[in-house]
Amino acid sequence: MKKFIILLIILTIAGFAYAQSKEAAHSIVLPAVKTDLAAGEGMDTTEKYCSICHSLDYITMQPKFPKATWTVEVNKMIKVMGAPIPEADAKVIIDYLAAQYGTGG
Amino acid sequence: MGPANFSRRNFLKAAGAVSAMAAVHGFPAELLAYERRMARFPEKTDLILLTSRPPQLETPLSYFKEMITPNEALFVRWHIANVPTSVDVNEWRLKVGGNTEKELALSIDDLKKFEKVTFTAVIQCSGNGRSLFEPRVAGGQWKDGAMGNVTWTGARLKDVLNSAGLKTGTVDVSFNGLDKPPLPTVPDFVKSLPVDNALEEDIIVAYEMNGKPLTMLNGFPARLIVPGWYATYWVKSLSDITVLSKPFEGFWVKSAYRIPDTDCGCVPPGTSPKKTIPINRMTTRSLIIDPSASSELTLNKPATIMGVAFSGGRGIQDVIVSVDGGKRWEETRLGEDEGKYSWRQFFYEWRPTKPGKYTLMARATDTIGESQPYEGLWNPAGFLRNKVEKTEVIVK
Repeated sequence: MKKFIILLIILTIAGFAYAQSKEAAHSIVLPAVKTDLAAGEGMDTTEKYCSICHSLDYITMQPKFPKATWTVEVNKMIKVMGAPIPEADAKVIIDYLAAQYGTGG
Repeated sequence: MGPANFSRRNFLKAAGAVSAMAAVHGFPAELLAYERRMARFPEKTDLILLTSRPPQLETPLSYFKEMITPNEALFVRWHIANVPTSVDVNEWRLKVGGNTEKELALSIDDLKKFEKVTFTAVIQCSGNGRSLFEPRVAGGQWKDGAMGNVTWTGARLKDVLNSAGLKTGTVDVSFNGLDKPPLPTVPDFVKSLPVDNALEEDIIVAYEMNGKPLTMLNGFPARLIVPGWYATYWVKSLSDITVLSKPFEGFWVKSAYRIPDTDCGCVPPGTSPKKTIPINRMTTRSLIIDPSASSELTLNKPATIMGVAFSGGRGIQDVIVSVDGGKRWEETRLGEDEGKYSWRQFFYEWRPTKPGKYTLMARATDTIGESQPYEGLWNPAGFLRNKVEKTEVIVK
């Protein structure tokens, strides 16, 4: 029985090695990471548009900024980084960021 | 791989470290809207998670006690969401073309036929230390862990370019990788170097880091190494080299990764520069690694102050340290010299004889006399941080 188990282990290892040598592509699977935005008016709109291009931790890692800075950042995403955000929704996002991640200024 | 990787213990550990750092750097911890999580990505160990898509992962400072940063601990920084996650090396080709005599499509074996070059070089993100800027600036909120010291092996870019044959009138050379934008409107991540820089001896297309294939997240199967320059130019998962007879106009050089065109690369805090240039060589920098911030040391017991110092590819001349907040400075002993692109370790034997709080500081000077400012130099993008940092410790 013992010999049989050892043989089984050897065959399994050999099988893995063979599969690896056949597998030419080097592949990884990125982990799914969930980041929750602060609850508040405009959260859904913010999540909907911002997460087209990047994870929401891009927002949550920032320090608190005045509304003027959030306005510059959202406009940069639209004009420079090519985010397809209609003007009315951009306003909702800026208001949300200023309210939830703002300095109050 | 899933969210289960983010253990509460590690999360709390990171959050605690952030609070300690915040206290040392003089701003209250509550101003940090973001508490740092740890995450384990493929082929990497537990690193500090900045963002997950695209991945941005920071190295905990304790890894810098070693001369060489292990592959699994090296920081990760991608720009656009669709990062390569699968590469078949039998299919992969490095295409070289544009203003050249011929077009090349090099396999990894072709690349390995060029003379093999190996050296150790610091890789550092342009925004390393950005979160320590005051006033704070938007962007990846790195502390000091967006750097590492790695032994790279590859083919000289110069040899690759010469085998394609540069035609006259070449101005710039651009570099594109396998990462792709999430929308056609998002600018693809493409970088360029002026041709004179691109032909410099020590720029390589690396296919090994620390003697092993590159990890996927650090640019498998090959990446550009521009030693002495910030890592924004070290294009990962390189796929296309294009030789240009006109200046490169792409977003990531023309509009992003720019510094004020002033002697210090800085402007008065909160202001905008009148003129900017592309970021280039790294500024001279040092960091005390051991003891770490907020450590408790024992009275009358010898304690070695250890850290790392590096420059924009000119080696390190000397490092001085202070244990009293900069009133008196002492010479340190430098560790092994692994070449001008590597960092240099420094050591100072200290025996604290009075209890209390101490402010440790280090200041490096490179071989052409470039050193570090005592106060932070500010620019709107949060680049070039190299001020003399303060590490507070307690002696009991």
